[in-house]
Amino acid sequence: MVFYKCLKCEKKWQHPVDICPFCFSILERVKTTKAKVIAKSKVSIPSLMHPKVPYFALVLEDEKGIRFAYKSIEEKMIGEDIHFESNINDDAVAIWRNNYDLLDSIEIISELLGGFNLNSKSKILILPTLVSSTHDYLRDNTSTEFLSAVITFLHDRDVKEIKIATQSFDDYEIENLAQKSGILDVCLKNKIVPFDLSKGAFVKKGKIEISKEVEEADLILNLSILKSGKGSSTENVFKLINKENYFSLKYLYSEEEMVLQIKDIKNIVSIGEAIYPQRVDKFPVFRNLIFASKNSVNLDAVFNATGLVNQLPKYLKNIDISNIPIVGRGILEVQRNIDILL
Amino acid sequence: MYIKGVGMTKFDYSTKPWWDIAYRAAIEALKDAKIGIESIDAIVFTSMSSAAGGEHQTHKVSFLSELFKTNVPIIEIVSVCGGGGVALWTALRMKGFKNILVLGAEKFADNRSEIVVDWILSAAEKIYEQSEGMLFPTQNALVWQMYMEKYEATMDDLSLIAFKNHQNAALNPNAYFYEKPLTLEKIKDSPEVSSPLRLMDCSLSVNGGAAVIISEEETEIEVIGSGFATDQILTFGREDITHFKATKLAAKDAFTQAGIVVKDIDIAEVHDAFTSVELISYEDIGFAEEGKGGELIRSGKINLGGEMPINVSGGLKAKGHPISATGLAQVYEIVHQLRGDCGKRQVNNPKIGLTHNIGGAGGSVTVHILKKIK
Repeated sequence: MVFYKCLKCEKKWQHPVDICPFCFSILERVKTTKAKVIAKSKVSIPSLMHPKVPYFALVLEDEKGIRFAYKSIEEKMIGEDIHFESNINDDAVAIWRNNYDLLDSIEIISELLGGFNLNSKSKILILPTLVSSTHDYLRDNTSTEFLSAVITFLHDRDVKEIKIATQSFDDYEIENLAQKSGILDVCLKNKIVPFDLSKGAFVKKGKIEISKEVEEADLILNLSILKSGKGSSTENVFKLINKENYFSLKYLYSEEEMVLQIKDIKNIVSIGEAIYPQRVDKFPVFRNLIFASKNSVNLDAVFNATGLVNQLPKYLKNIDISNIPIVGRGILEVQRNIDILL
Repeated sequence: MYIKGVGMTKFDYSTKPWWDIAYRAAIEALKDAKIGIESIDAIVFTSMSSAAGGEHQTHKVSFLSELFKTNVPIIEIVSVCGGGGVALWTALRMKGFKNILVLGAEKFADNRSEIVVDWILSAAEKIYEQSEGMLFPTQNALVWQMYMEKYEATMDDLSLIAFKNHQNAALNPNAYFYEKPLTLEKIKDSPEVSSPLRLMDCSLSVNGGAAVIISEEETEIEVIGSGFATDQILTFGREDITHFKATKLAAKDAFTQAGIVVKDIDIAEVHDAFTSVELISYEDIGFAEEGKGGELIRSGKINLGGEMPINVSGGLKAKGHPISATGLAQVYEIVHQLRGDCGKRQVNNPKIGLTHNIGGAGGSVTVHILKKIK
């Protein structure tokens, strides 16, 4: 939980305002880690946002006296501490509900997966989703605020070497897409020049030709913008493959085979943005969630399960999500039918 | 300012459009005031409809101009469940207008309950509370649970409130539960919706409209106090979760303006979106000491025939709660009670009445005090 405090007036806000309206001081971002249950209600009526009942609506209070609401499928007792275990298993999927502050969500989701082991010498490759020249609100590409938050997260951990790159599998020029989507602006503000992976070298690994940048990076952050009925995270990992190689393999084999091939890329963490993910019909729907996993396929399967989406690519259809370790929020806690209302 | 006329529709599940509901409430108020629409210098309108009807309209002021064939200023005010009270509070402060029509109408219950609830929830905080499962009954259930723990109150007190309001509604032809009284057992045995609150602790979302015409010209009823206060939308971030600070502030303001004290009130319409809200409001308005709301309902003093009856109309609980129209329907009831024409539910010769209207979970509250002067 993060809140914002005026050090002069002592007033606190949960909404991320930055200036105190009384004394105009810049507010301090304060994080709390532990909270206990002070009240609970068993909810028996289903609603669009919370179709699965019963669930427990809790009031939590943290060590600084900040109170906030919290939903749990499991019953909790008054006085019980709420804390989250991390899981370093490569197959684990972390789910978190974003509270406006994307940086806070990224920090939490990193902790839930055991941390990304970052330091001043880390070499990071950010792989944004960049598929159309549209504004953020249409949720086609990684949003500018999400990319900004990830870069801030890395800078806060003293990471100096950050590259941002992807490639287009359509006829669009990456440079044009980056410019029109606003991603170029974010990169340049952070003194990073984004580049097109297709213009660099590729190395053969099994059946696939992978960008040489994969070998050179300590960690690849796959920033997928999640879309219903798709394997958005996995599809974005495909962008690390040589374009011609990707299409020929897809023609010769299948997407399932491609998925098997990219499993050999070990230094990758997918962070899925699902604040307003697209429905199958491309209308963005408010979900306010962030997902992360070292296994992009698991991430895609879990994301679609939280939206009760059945129309899935073949490689996601047979995944049994009950076998996937989940950390942070539970699937049932955040599940709702994404097709009902916007 | 004075009350010149009042009107309301029956609260029910009418499928008529919002504007028709508004029109019928306004016509009754105009007839009651014995003036035509040409005598109205301004209109203050309040509504948040509609949940999912295809007639969703955000330029209602122009729509009303068409209906009433008028070009006077029409102001729309949205303050969700507290809209009626806030509209009246605003109208009372408008200078230079002889007669102002204050009007509220909702065509709200027009789809499956999940859709209607989702729309009602637009009156609550989305990210920190709704996303975490906080429906309105849930927020109020948690407030009540903490109240019960603090003051050792019981669910039986809430059952008595529901019973009282249903008994009263059974006598009110405009109430949804007119001639349909409920037994105390049925109330106690109703299913839990969000523990510890049960179905019969919740008010009834219905469609309906209400109208009040205020005037500079002296009539038999004067508005002698008008208070309005707000509070933060994050229910659990408030200093004291077990009380509604905005009610305390609005009531204090209204009583100060009126120059009277609580015991001068003969009759009150208190916002009972949930029975727990009515009980807590007894204390916040000043009808009972802190933690003694349960004693007040158990005493019988606020039943019809008691010293100071509360919610003789049936309240939101059993008359029905058409969101923005509610605050004006409360004024409708008090005006008719002060006039002495409420038939079987008439209180014995009341002189001063109070209305208390809440928006959201205590986020915007108005208190008005009306006095019979002739």
